[in-house]
Amino acid sequence: MDRTRAILRKAAWSVFTILFVIILNFFLFRVLPGDPARAGIRDPRLNKDAIEALRVRFGLDKPVINCFETLNPVKLGDCAINPMETQFFIYVRNLLQGEMGFSYHTNRPVVDILGERLWNTILLIGVGQILSIIFGVAIGVFAAWKARTSLDYGAVAASLVAWSLPTFWLAILLLFWGSTIGLPVAGKATPGMSSYPLLQQWGDIARHMLLPTLTYTIVYMGEYTLIMRSSLLDVLSEDYILTARAKGLNSFQILRDHALKNAMLPLVTVIAINLGFTVAGVIQIESVFSWPGLGNAIYEAVVRRDFPVLQGAFLLIAVTVILANLFADLTYTYLDPRVRVE
Amino acid sequence: MKQKVLYLFMLVALVISACGGGGNQPAIVRAGWAGSPDTLNPGMAILTEAYTVFELVYDSMYDLNLDGSFTLSLAESANVSDDGTVWTFKIRDGLKWHDGEPLTAEDVAWTYNLYKDTPEYPYLNGYYTTYFDTIEATDNNEVVLTLTEAIPNIESQLVFLYILPKHIWEGVDKLEYENTEMIGSGPFKMAEYVQNEFVRLTANKDHFLTPPKVDEVIFQTFENQDALVQAIKTGQVDMITEMPNTAAESLKTDENIELVVGAPLSPGVTDIIFNQTDPENCPPEGGLCTGHPALRDRNLRLALAHATDKQKLIDVILLGLGNPGLTLIPDGLGVWYNDTLADYEYDTAKANRILDDAGYVDADGDGIRDMPDGSRPLTFRLNWPSDSITAPRMSELLAEMWGELGISLEPQAVDPDALTAQCCPAFDFDIMLWGWASDPDPSALLYVYTSEAVPTGSSETGYSNPEYDDLYAKQQVELNFDARKDIVWQMQKIVHDDVVYIIPFYDANVQAYRTDRFTGWVIDQAKVELSDITSLVLIEPVK
Repeated sequence: MDRTRAILRKAAWSVFTILFVIILNFFLFRVLPGDPARAGIRDPRLNKDAIEALRVRFGLDKPVINCFETLNPVKLGDCAINPMETQFFIYVRNLLQGEMGFSYHTNRPVVDILGERLWNTILLIGVGQILSIIFGVAIGVFAAWKARTSLDYGAVAASLVAWSLPTFWLAILLLFWGSTIGLPVAGKATPGMSSYPLLQQWGDIARHMLLPTLTYTIVYMGEYTLIMRSSLLDVLSEDYILTARAKGLNSFQILRDHALKNAMLPLVTVIAINLGFTVAGVIQIESVFSWPGLGNAIYEAVVRRDFPVLQGAFLLIAVTVILANLFADLTYTYLDPRVRVE
Repeated sequence: MKQKVLYLFMLVALVISACGGGGNQPAIVRAGWAGSPDTLNPGMAILTEAYTVFELVYDSMYDLNLDGSFTLSLAESANVSDDGTVWTFKIRDGLKWHDGEPLTAEDVAWTYNLYKDTPEYPYLNGYYTTYFDTIEATDNNEVVLTLTEAIPNIESQLVFLYILPKHIWEGVDKLEYENTEMIGSGPFKMAEYVQNEFVRLTANKDHFLTPPKVDEVIFQTFENQDALVQAIKTGQVDMITEMPNTAAESLKTDENIELVVGAPLSPGVTDIIFNQTDPENCPPEGGLCTGHPALRDRNLRLALAHATDKQKLIDVILLGLGNPGLTLIPDGLGVWYNDTLADYEYDTAKANRILDDAGYVDADGDGIRDMPDGSRPLTFRLNWPSDSITAPRMSELLAEMWGELGISLEPQAVDPDALTAQCCPAFDFDIMLWGWASDPDPSALLYVYTSEAVPTGSSETGYSNPEYDDLYAKQQVELNFDARKDIVWQMQKIVHDDVVYIIPFYDANVQAYRTDRFTGWVIDQAKVELSDITSLVLIEPVK
């Protein structure tokens, strides 16, 4: 009963955080200077009337919120107007109806854009995470088992290097290397493959995924290796491992039944938190390899001052981070009954 | 271990690449570009990539040639009334949309009315239909276009007004319609479009003017320009429409790749902007006018012009791939470009003399010249948009060159949007590095110098000269081509004499294609644009 209530309380906090993000999201972009209707376009053919018409279409002609016409520069306005005539309440109302508006730049519904992009990012991150977890854990366990041998030192050094490599730089290097062995350097699929048999299309996507996934795996694998190794070393020095050994269990049994489970705890936290952040954190990999994911969409939207897309993407990221944290909290109590939800 | 992982990946890569591939019968041109159309709705589009696709998939009344001239496309004849206000276009017979429906004068008139009546269309309504009064289709397959006044540049006004199929566009929301099916009448048909990934077009072999010889053209988006260069080197694409100038050298030496450099189809200008607004006549709406007073003095601007080594800027920043500039009208505009103007020669000693004579001396001995009345030093804020690749290098070089005159700069990159807010009509800056994109007709760029443009935000210098304004109005309505050209040339002389800007260089298109794939690219014209219809309908596979 206690547990249920605690979980509910945590969930309520998450909802509250999301609401806060929704509000912050709106004002964050509006205190930035500049005008999305112009978005830095330098062309004498864009005249004042055309820009004004765009502003009306985007709803930017309405006051930001009661009492404020604009936030940068701050211009005071009418406080008594109908709130439904302000950008803020229109934004909230649309959001409640599942609408995120139209992208200023591409003129498409934000929901459509984010929907397409999200799956591509999930595909990239999903495969990348699974691979980096598998390799990270395997190497970590191996290093811990062979602790203080040259193999261990080698693994630690390699992991440290991998972890601290600038993602962008590593991606460029792999791009150059990959292109010389005939790997595609951009996109998710070869254009024009959509009429091919499904199996060939998947093969094509897999080829396109190789380089970005390799980059992702190398970058994250190092972190997981180090955490796994030190956590396992901790566990291996515990008394119950000694007891297990005294009982006559062999190394493999000790590792599998006694050490690994306990050593996994810190890793679960890191993975869960990483999952939340990586939705945004693959911007660099996505832009090097032209992967049509969320990171790319965010980058483009920042450049174009595309508020609706930014609001939508940030909301999506916030929700993912919050859910991932919630998930980590809950898994923790399941994996380790000593940790109680409070 | 890591090594093993790499090998594993390599192995998987090779296995998968071995099962890839496929048929090689159709002639497919793969082009790589660093952008992507913003939208396929011609009314709402702004980016050049969108216009590239429109050029290929749609037809319009005129085609723009690479030498800057126009030829009739959809119409077989064009006649104008004596007073120049009524144009009658006879549309060709037997034209067809890609879906098989007939294309008639009715479609043309309907499309022109759509553009005229939709204020949300930034270019097509805001600029190109300004002079439209009424548009009607006659029974005789003619379109009668009545203008509010006679204008000299009807071709450039109509060339980007792509004709849309009435039977499709009638029933859709003109603003929200994404137009991904994109039924047109042009030499290529839309086959597949994935935003930010690729555009796949198939040939319309029945096109009335320019049926392509290849079967397909695919434009693939590369967010990263290094990847773009790598893709053409390894043969993943057959042509690229842009590259960093640093990559040009390495492509030049590749025997299977031909590098082409020329003026872009739509002119682009890089400019050094001087805030010349006087606080006395500052734009009432949003004007701050904080410019350094010395910049209002022609002598000072002249000295800066003499102290600017344009060739060095081109060599260092563009690695030599560009031409020195004179005024906002670039050489790429062909006949409109006044090539008789002599540029201010690079001569630092002369520049120093000009400043000495004008009374700008270093009064306090700090190495920086001061205003003649000693009120403030010649220290200028220098800003540029933070997304500019060339500006950081240019600011360093300018600081060095102008430093020789005892002038100091405070360089600062600014977010492009913030810079727009700072720029115009606020005039809250001293010197900026920026640029313009524009139209094949000179009118749009000439407008930037007018007094009328000061409060609207198009003028970035605050320059105001009644003589120039009169000439601007004149060339707008001068129907005689040669007379108009003379006026346009005279206007360039005025703004060059007044040193309104320093134009370091005109942007060049730097493109490349693989010689072992397709042949017949048009590269012998003043303008270079491999992604334009001019090349894509002519090329054929290398045997």
